[in-house]
Amino acid sequence: MSEHAHEHSHHITPISTLVKTLLLLGVLMVTTIAWAQIAPSALKDVPPALASLINNLIAMGIAFIKAVAVIMIFMGVKYQSSIVKLYAALGFLWFTLMFIMFADYGTRHWEAVRGWTPGVKQMAMPRADEPYEEGMPPRKDIKIPDEHH
Amino acid sequence: MTTHVATDEKNYLQEGHTLASWLLTKDHKRIAVLYLISVSFFFFVGSIAAMMVRLELTSPRGTLMSNETYNKAFSAHGVVMVFFFLVVAIPAIFGNFLIPMQIGARDLAFPRLNLLSWYFYMAGGIMFLIAMMSGGVDAGWTFYTPMSSIYSNGQITLALVGAFVVGFSSIFTGVNFIATIHKMRAPGMTWWRLPLFVWGHYATSLIVILGTPVVAITLLLVVFERVAKIGIFSPELGGDPVLFQHMFWFYSHPAVYIMVLPGMAVISEIMACFSRNKVFGYHFVALSSLGIAALSFIVWGHHMFVSSQSMYQGIFFSFTSFLVAVPSAIKVFNWSLTMYKGSVWLASPMIYALGFLGLFTVGGMTGLYLASVGTDVHVTGTYFVVAHFHYVMVGGTLLAFLGALHFWWPKFFGRMYPEGVAKWNALLVFIGFNLTFLPQFVVGWLGMPRRYHYYYFAPEFQVYHVMSTLGASALAVSLIVPAFYLTYSLFKGPKSPPNPWAARGLEWEAAASPPIKHNFHGVPVVVGDVYDYDAEAEELALRGMTKEEA
Amino acid sequence: MISLKKMNQPQDTVYEQFEDLAQQQETYVLGMWSFLVTEVMFFGVMFMSYIVYRWKYQPYFYALHKELDWRIGGINTAILLASSFSVALAVHYHQKKKKMNVLMCLGFTNLCAISFIVIKLLFEYIPKWNHGHYPGPGFSWDNPYVPSHIAQLWFSLYFGTTGLHGLHVLIGVILFSVLMYLIAVDHPSISDYLPTEMLGLYWHFVDIVWIFLYPLYYLMPK
Repeated sequence: MSEHAHEHSHHITPISTLVKTLLLLGVLMVTTIAWAQIAPSALKDVPPALASLINNLIAMGIAFIKAVAVIMIFMGVKYQSSIVKLYAALGFLWFTLMFIMFADYGTRHWEAVRGWTPGVKQMAMPRADEPYEEGMPPRKDIKIPDEHH
Repeated sequence: MTTHVATDEKNYLQEGHTLASWLLTKDHKRIAVLYLISVSFFFFVGSIAAMMVRLELTSPRGTLMSNETYNKAFSAHGVVMVFFFLVVAIPAIFGNFLIPMQIGARDLAFPRLNLLSWYFYMAGGIMFLIAMMSGGVDAGWTFYTPMSSIYSNGQITLALVGAFVVGFSSIFTGVNFIATIHKMRAPGMTWWRLPLFVWGHYATSLIVILGTPVVAITLLLVVFERVAKIGIFSPELGGDPVLFQHMFWFYSHPAVYIMVLPGMAVISEIMACFSRNKVFGYHFVALSSLGIAALSFIVWGHHMFVSSQSMYQGIFFSFTSFLVAVPSAIKVFNWSLTMYKGSVWLASPMIYALGFLGLFTVGGMTGLYLASVGTDVHVTGTYFVVAHFHYVMVGGTLLAFLGALHFWWPKFFGRMYPEGVAKWNALLVFIGFNLTFLPQFVVGWLGMPRRYHYYYFAPEFQVYHVMSTLGASALAVSLIVPAFYLTYSLFKGPKSPPNPWAARGLEWEAAASPPIKHNFHGVPVVVGDVYDYDAEAEELALRGMTKEEA
Repeated sequence: MISLKKMNQPQDTVYEQFEDLAQQQETYVLGMWSFLVTEVMFFGVMFMSYIVYRWKYQPYFYALHKELDWRIGGINTAILLASSFSVALAVHYHQKKKKMNVLMCLGFTNLCAISFIVIKLLFEYIPKWNHGHYPGPGFSWDNPYVPSHIAQLWFSLYFGTTGLHGLHVLIGVILFSVLMYLIAVDHPSISDYLPTEMLGLYWHFVDIVWIFLYPLYYLMPK
């Protein structure tokens, strides 16, 4: 067992590093909120699909950086052994395997047979020109006013 | 390795005889014995439900019970056997007992967590028993929505909470094993000197911590759907019931390997010991466990070929399912080659291991039929599927469990069982099993649907069902017999020497049978290679010669 | 007499199954991380359900996210970030064995956790319940542009995900209270800084879940 016991004293993260991390997290939080407020007007002329992509990338990118900062500094993974680093990444990596199910939801509408009941096109992932469910307008025609409340 | 064993010392069974000394123990060996008792009990409960199912099917008209009772019987059989026997049995009993001993540690890393996991197991089990007594569950062990969330009556909620709680029991065990295997190995016990039993359990623990939470939360969402009326899988709210199946099988396919990888781990040990040979391709067998663990997470859709999942996804999952055959085949071939040029000793554990080899191969090969989309559409939901997974789960895991029980029984309790009876019984298990499930392949291929309690539309199936029920009765006898002779041996069996099989490994060579509380005197230092059997010398020794003389 | 100034404990107990303190501490950290892997997968299901349905119902989900007030969510985000910082600070002081500082940091963290729950209940759960915005037979809905059943699906996801997160916060409050008590009375089970570190890891994870949950539910991009 001694082969694993490194004769180091455990790492103590200095307070200044913790404070800097907190500041970074605060700045990122303000950025993501601010972008969410200005995005609808700033991306008015961008095609909706592209605007959606940009918005999602920014929101999730910032969240990702925040999470990495918390994991590395606050949780001290940066100062841990590589096996701990591996386990810290493992859960997040494995979560991405669940995205395989989009191979299902993303391709259902390619199928020759749409549904068992003739005339009913119920499907999980309709294309833009298809309705969500019977009796609804096609997806691209859905217009919801911004200021309902 | 040192073989110093003092005989006058108290073993772990003698460290206290009160009930509290068992129920509050933190000793991994005692917790393993607690698990052995409780898992055997749940196995008994599940077997009763299985016998109810088999008796009902002897008649094409379904005369013994109503369809609802029948649904409850097969659901009880499925839930109890999967969640309370197969997933738990080998890791929680043998893994718990042997992993610290095989790596040269005094205990698991977190003994209190280990005890807590047993209490979670019991709490979940009791919840399910109450659910069964007070109305039963008729949604099958898969709990598909919207059947389980909207339409099904009975005690689904309580049963699901029980399954959720027992899931945490496995998670605690998995966390414990991972930390233990990484950090508690004795000096000299490198990764490539670990017995394959430990490798198999490491892969199993990885699947447990990555998969079990997924099914736990999915079942919890169904509970919320029933109790709090939220509806994530509810088609009434625009939700997709197939999403439940995705989430469920994301765990439950890997769970198949949670059930069978520990069995494979046991077989590696038995094969090496009773062939007196190093496991052929040790590194490949070790890595194939990890390969199976990784691949198992990208094949789940083959359970859903006839759901409304896209056929393009079906093609993807069909392809990946074939890939899993590769590491499984590596294992089967390597075990077979372990016997080659070995000195095979047909003791009862070895007979179980050989049975495993044959039955698991049949189960695996029929799995290929089911992995290809076209064939699967024909046989989905028939007895062909039932026979397939029983060949893997019963022919695989149950036989490995029995083999492990016979192999390590002297280590657990320091007593020998009557070997002659055990050998014949092992043969009876093999025959009874095949008589039960071989006809099911045929009748399934002919079109007998699973989960039907009658088949008056095809009375010609009766002969297969009667054969199957006869086989199940033989299997039942062959499972009751060991209960008697093993219990007998506890009190009257001859005392076993520390290493009755002359097996290699720290648990046999450096510890007493039964072991002392801290397993070893001091910390064992590992210098030799793993499985350093010498079949040639042993064969010669049987003829009274040494290598030099030959 | 219990002193609040310095740690008055049996120093650095090594449990019988371990060889030395370094091995014990590494094992505990690895064990906690493998438990956190299960937590990631646990919340992964909730996030995955959200992703699937948002992909399907994006226009409706965008309209529905306005039911949540980003200001309340923002305040709660700030509260969790601050509490995460203070628990990291608590570990720092525990390593230096400054008992009073540890207790103050943990107390602040606990205060943050409790105010998170109070804000969530007072400004979100209870008003939504009173408006009938809870999925089920009594669901009342007056936005003609969003079908009622999709609104119910969205509220199911919202209550399911934030409810599970809130449950984790509640468990955190209980554990922090117990830990503070054990540290205050110099309980023998607190022999080194590892208990604080373990609970800290758990708490940071709760924070990480919220880091993803907040933009997805409150700031949903169009």
